[in-house]
Amino acid sequence: MDFGLSEQQEMLKKTARDFFKTELPKTAVKEIAKDPRGYPPELWKKMADLGWVGLALPEQYGGSGASFMDLTILMEEMGRACLPGPFLSTVILGAMTVLDLGTDEQKSAILPRVARGELVLTMAIAEPHAIYRSDFFEVEARHVAHHYTVSGTKLFVTDAHVADYIIVAAKTKGGVTLFLVDARSPGVSCSLLPAMAGERQCEVKFDGVRLTRADMLGGVNRGKDYLEKVMQRAAAARCSEMVGGAEQVLEMTIQYAKDRIAFGKAIGTYQAIQHHCANMLNDFDESRYMTRRAAWLVSEGLPCALEVSLAKAWVGQASRRITSLGHEVHGAIAFQHDHDMHLYTKQAVVGEASFGSSAYHAEVVAKELGL
Amino acid sequence: MDFRFTPEEEAFRKEVREFLDKELPKDWPGVDPDCYHEDAFDEIHEVSVAMQKKLAAKGWLGLTWPKKYGGHEQPLWKQIILEEEMTYRGSPGLDPYQFVGGMGDLLLEFGTEAQKEKYLPMMIRGEIKGATGMSEPNAGSDLANIQLKADLQGDYFILNGQKTWQSAAHRADLAPVYVRTDPNLAKHRGISIILVEYQKTPGITMRRLEMMSGLGAFNEVFYDNVKIPKENLLGEINSGWKIVMAALSHERSYGVMLLINIRRDIDLLIEYCKETKDVDGEPLSKNRLIRNRLAEVVIQQEIARNVGYKLNHLALTGGNVVSTANHVKILGGITTQRVAQVGMQIMGLYSQLGPVGGNWRQTDPVKDKWARLGGRMKHLYLSTICNTIAAGTTEVARNAAAGALGLPREPKPAPKK
Repeated sequence: MDFGLSEQQEMLKKTARDFFKTELPKTAVKEIAKDPRGYPPELWKKMADLGWVGLALPEQYGGSGASFMDLTILMEEMGRACLPGPFLSTVILGAMTVLDLGTDEQKSAILPRVARGELVLTMAIAEPHAIYRSDFFEVEARHVAHHYTVSGTKLFVTDAHVADYIIVAAKTKGGVTLFLVDARSPGVSCSLLPAMAGERQCEVKFDGVRLTRADMLGGVNRGKDYLEKVMQRAAAARCSEMVGGAEQVLEMTIQYAKDRIAFGKAIGTYQAIQHHCANMLNDFDESRYMTRRAAWLVSEGLPCALEVSLAKAWVGQASRRITSLGHEVHGAIAFQHDHDMHLYTKQAVVGEASFGSSAYHAEVVAKELGL
Repeated sequence: MDFRFTPEEEAFRKEVREFLDKELPKDWPGVDPDCYHEDAFDEIHEVSVAMQKKLAAKGWLGLTWPKKYGGHEQPLWKQIILEEEMTYRGSPGLDPYQFVGGMGDLLLEFGTEAQKEKYLPMMIRGEIKGATGMSEPNAGSDLANIQLKADLQGDYFILNGQKTWQSAAHRADLAPVYVRTDPNLAKHRGISIILVEYQKTPGITMRRLEMMSGLGAFNEVFYDNVKIPKENLLGEINSGWKIVMAALSHERSYGVMLLINIRRDIDLLIEYCKETKDVDGEPLSKNRLIRNRLAEVVIQQEIARNVGYKLNHLALTGGNVVSTANHVKILGGITTQRVAQVGMQIMGLYSQLGPVGGNWRQTDPVKDKWARLGGRMKHLYLSTICNTIAAGTTEVARNAAAGALGLPREPKPAPKK
């Protein structure tokens, strides 16, 4: 077994860290939070020019041909930077799905523009009564004559308000089918949800949206199995973001424990604080190693259902513990909006709930154990 | 990055498994890495001795050690796999005090040529049992406070004082014993290590202590003018603290072993839940709460196990293992306790019944009629209480982790005058 990053991965990580340090100070993150778009298009363009949006896309579609593993290394740094915006939506949910399931026409039409930073994609999975459980979907694509009409409400759809295309997972007779929907199609409406963290989430209504077979991704009733793959990728990617965030929280907290004086000494001198820090470190290491293992299995196309769920169930809870202890060590100062801690705290809470909560993934583990 | 085992590793793993299938007694329920069962009960001890001989015959003792002492100079990954497979099966015979970051490694690093030539071949032939002599009544977490006195008089050290909580000592032939050779030096400076042959040395008396689990597996050891030849000094005089630190960094495996061993208990518990019906006639494994509890302990164990793999990776690539070994030790303690807690909750009142004699190899068909899983959960709950204490408490390990993070040290009290 080899837990090490390759030289290229180390370089990617360092480049990304330096880039976000200069291009995305936390003051900017807080400013962007007030912007209805939720992300700065100029920064998105720069990231595309660096080859990051198309990092894991093949060269023939304008990408760099890197692996999913490389992508998650980059996403660790995005989590560390609290990067707002539609990266996970566009790349993990959108482009990778189009790449896997799309026809040549779909791929040629969409992917090069994604890689150039010209298109934002997302996928609509969750529903009010069936967060991620496709067996209970109510959004339906009815086959009428030579077309389909899609109706119903999807919830917690990330970045739909700025998306050019929304992949919708809809119930079809005998299964679930994915459709690539132009977000400007008549009958598609979108409203922002008042979500806690920087990530934008929407309610998306489909009201008799008219689609044809050419809009389908991967054929009729191919959606259910494929959604599992999407969830695995998204969960692994989300874990990577949380790991990056947790690392930053750990470092901030250690620094604060060294600098802050109370009772005449740096508070890090006291065992109560030291043990909080040690627990944060261990939670972080456990999360990072498991995330990388899960991401690597996804990347290699090996069976990964158990490992991804182990990681997501753990990292969600661990990230929350890390931010809680970070607050405890910082005391009142990090309760201030001016401070950066709350960005991570919110990111961790949303991270745990999205793409399968800890309880959801624990149940996957139970199934994998044969229970 | 690559998280697979190589075909070579898989092949060796298979070889170890087949060996254990063949050599372990039928329906062997497994002993723990703490060796408490084999040290407490003669008939289990005998199985351990027999396995040790079989391992020696197979060439699996001193697997990585130099050929000139009878070792086999095999790569470290084989030793790791051997430890892993034996631990999951609960096989005795790979005495941790000698072979798993114990005396053998200390002798190789610090021993004189004469010491190596004398002791290593005996170990490799599977002829002796080891122990370690660290804790004293007033030196547990504060290990540097050891007071067992060793005066160098002519060609002998004269030892006076006592050790306590000495696991395996009553059965051991040889142990590195941590002694104070100079009471006038600062407390970390006046410590030395002496190799003591427990069975052959007059003046040593032992009193077996019973553990809260009911097993009599550790000891008080009293030294009354015990004469040890000076050539049994390990390393240099008064520089034993360096060896203490090395001994602790050799503790690569203990946390990992706890984590592998507990998987056997988790798997037992899973089987129990599949086979045992709830009041509604459905198996416990279909109960949502129980599914979640079982999944949670598996998640905790697998996450911890993965840190264990990281530790292996560091050991095999020559990285610094100290912080990660420390981390895994913490995980071993808290994870095993959590499994025992969940097991007790799931099994309810049945969980607190144990085999009447404390030996799960000999459950009494009448008196133990209601003890499920051979009383394993009761034993596990009681014995794992020690897992956050033995080989360094969780709190001491967290202090060390904080030190590695660069946090300032706690001020030390002024030295005694």
